Amino acid sequence: MSNFASQGSRMYVRGAKIDRASVLEIRSPESSRPVAPRTPEAPQVVQAFIHRHRPFFVLAGVLLAQLMLLSAQITRDRNLPLAKVWAEAALAPFERSLRGLADVTGGLWDSVRDVTSAERQNGELRAQLAASANRIRELSEQSAENERLRTLLDYKARAPYSTVAAEVIGSSPGEASSTVLIDRGADSHFTADLAVITPDGAAGKIVAVYPHTAQVLLLSDPAAGAGGMLEKSQAQGVLKGTGRGLCRLDYLMNGESVSAGDLVVTSGLDQVFPKGLPLGRVVKVTDGNIYKNIVVEPAVALDRLEEVLVVLPKASTPEVARTRNP
Amino acid sequence: MPASAERPINVHRVHWVTLWLTAFLALVLQTFLPVILPLSRLFDLPLLVVIYFSVMRRSKVFGTFFGTILGLAEDALSHGFLGIFGIVKALVGYFGAWASVQFDLEEFLGRLALTAVLVLFHNVTLAGLRHILVESPLTFQPLDLASVVLLNSALAVVLFQLLDRFRRPA
Repeated sequence: MSNFASQGSRMYVRGAKIDRASVLEIRSPESSRPVAPRTPEAPQVVQAFIHRHRPFFVLAGVLLAQLMLLSAQITRDRNLPLAKVWAEAALAPFERSLRGLADVTGGLWDSVRDVTSAERQNGELRAQLAASANRIRELSEQSAENERLRTLLDYKARAPYSTVAAEVIGSSPGEASSTVLIDRGADSHFTADLAVITPDGAAGKIVAVYPHTAQVLLLSDPAAGAGGMLEKSQAQGVLKGTGRGLCRLDYLMNGESVSAGDLVVTSGLDQVFPKGLPLGRVVKVTDGNIYKNIVVEPAVALDRLEEVLVVLPKASTPEVARTRNP
Repeated sequence: MPASAERPINVHRVHWVTLWLTAFLALVLQTFLPVILPLSRLFDLPLLVVIYFSVMRRSKVFGTFFGTILGLAEDALSHGFLGIFGIVKALVGYFGAWASVQFDLEEFLGRLALTAVLVLFHNVTLAGLRHILVESPLTFQPLDLASVVLLNSALAVVLFQLLDRFRRPA
C-alpha cells in the first residue's frame, strides 16, 4: 500500500503501511485539500476505509452506471431488456430455493396431517372391520345352521321313522364321559334309550330325561355301545366307545375279511338304533387272540354336535310325533 | 514498519483546453482516418489518449472518468450499444493511473510496456464484454491481436512524445 505526500512539484511514494492516525494527514492527488475532520458520529473506521479506497468506489460506480445503461439497451429473447433478464437471473435461484423450502415445509406439514388423519381413519376402519367380521361370523354361523337344519329337515322327511329335532345345549365337563345335553326332555315325551342321530349317522342314545332337557350318551363313551356290522360283509359285531373320540368293533373273528376304510353300520339288533345307519369307518385292523382288534372312527363329528334328531319308537303315533315335535 | 526508500516522481498537468481538444481530435481522426487509410482501422487513438493522460495525472478517479467519457463518445459514434467502450476505457484509465504510481514510467521502455499491456487488456476485455452482453462470437486471432498491440504501441511512442510538449509541471 502506498500513500502520497506532495511537496511542491514532487510527490513521494512511501512504502510504509498507513495507520489510522496517518489517514488524516494524507494529501492525495484526488483531493488537494486536507481531509475534512470527521464528525464525532461517523464511524471512524468506515470513513477511513471509504476515503482510502475512493478511487475504487468511483470506478465501481462508473462501471455500474454504464452496465445499467447497456442493460437498458440490449434485449434478449422476446425483446426483454437485459436489465430484466439480469434481475430475473439474480433473483430466480433464491425464489426457487424459497419456493422449494416452502414446498418441503408444506409437504412435511401435509405428511404429518396425513399421518394423523390416517391413524384416525385406521382406527375407524379397524372398528368397522371388527364389526364386519363379527357380522360375517354371525351370518356364516346362521348360514351353516341353516344348512344343517335344512339337511336335518330333509333327512327327517326322507327317514322311514319318526324323529324329533333337538339342539345340543351342553356337554359333559370331564373327559371321562362323553355326554351332551339337548334342549328337549320330558316335555317332548322323551324316554331313555331313544336313539340320537344326525344325517351323518348314529351319535348316541338318551340315558337320562329331565323335564325340559335330556342327557345323551355319545358312542365314543366307554359305557356306550351299539350293534354294528360291516356293510361289506354283513359281519356282526358290537361297537363300543374307547373314551378317546374313537370306537372299536368287537367280536369279529380273526378270519373275517376287514380292511381299513370299510364302513360300519348299525345292525339293528340292539333295538335302539334303526338298521343301516352309518356308525363309522375302520381306521385300523389287527388280529387278536380270537377276535380282531378293529378301531373305528365315528361317522358323526361327536365333538361338534349342534343339532340332532331323536328317533321316536315305532309305536309312536303321528299325533304323538306332532306332540313331541311342535 | 520501516519505510522503504522514497522514489521521487513527477506530477504534470495540461491545460484543460489541451486535454479536451486532444480528446476531440482523437475521436475525429479515429473516424476519419480509416476512410483514407484502411490500416488506421487498427489504431485506437482515443485509447492512447486515455492511457497518456491517466498516466500523466496519476489519478485513478480522473482516469476512470476520462476513459468513461471518451468511451461513451466512441460508442455514440459507432454502431454498437452505449457503454461498451465506456466500460473498457474506464478500466484502462483506472489501471493506467494505478500503474503510473506503482512503476517508474518516465522512461521510454516503461511507457512502451505499459501501453502494450493496456492495449492488450483493452482488446481482450472488449471482446469478452461483447461476447457476454451482445453474445457475439468469441474468436481468438493471435496474429491480429499482436498486430494491434504492436501498431498501437509504436504509435504511442510517437504520440506521447508529441503530447509531452504540452505538459507542464503541476
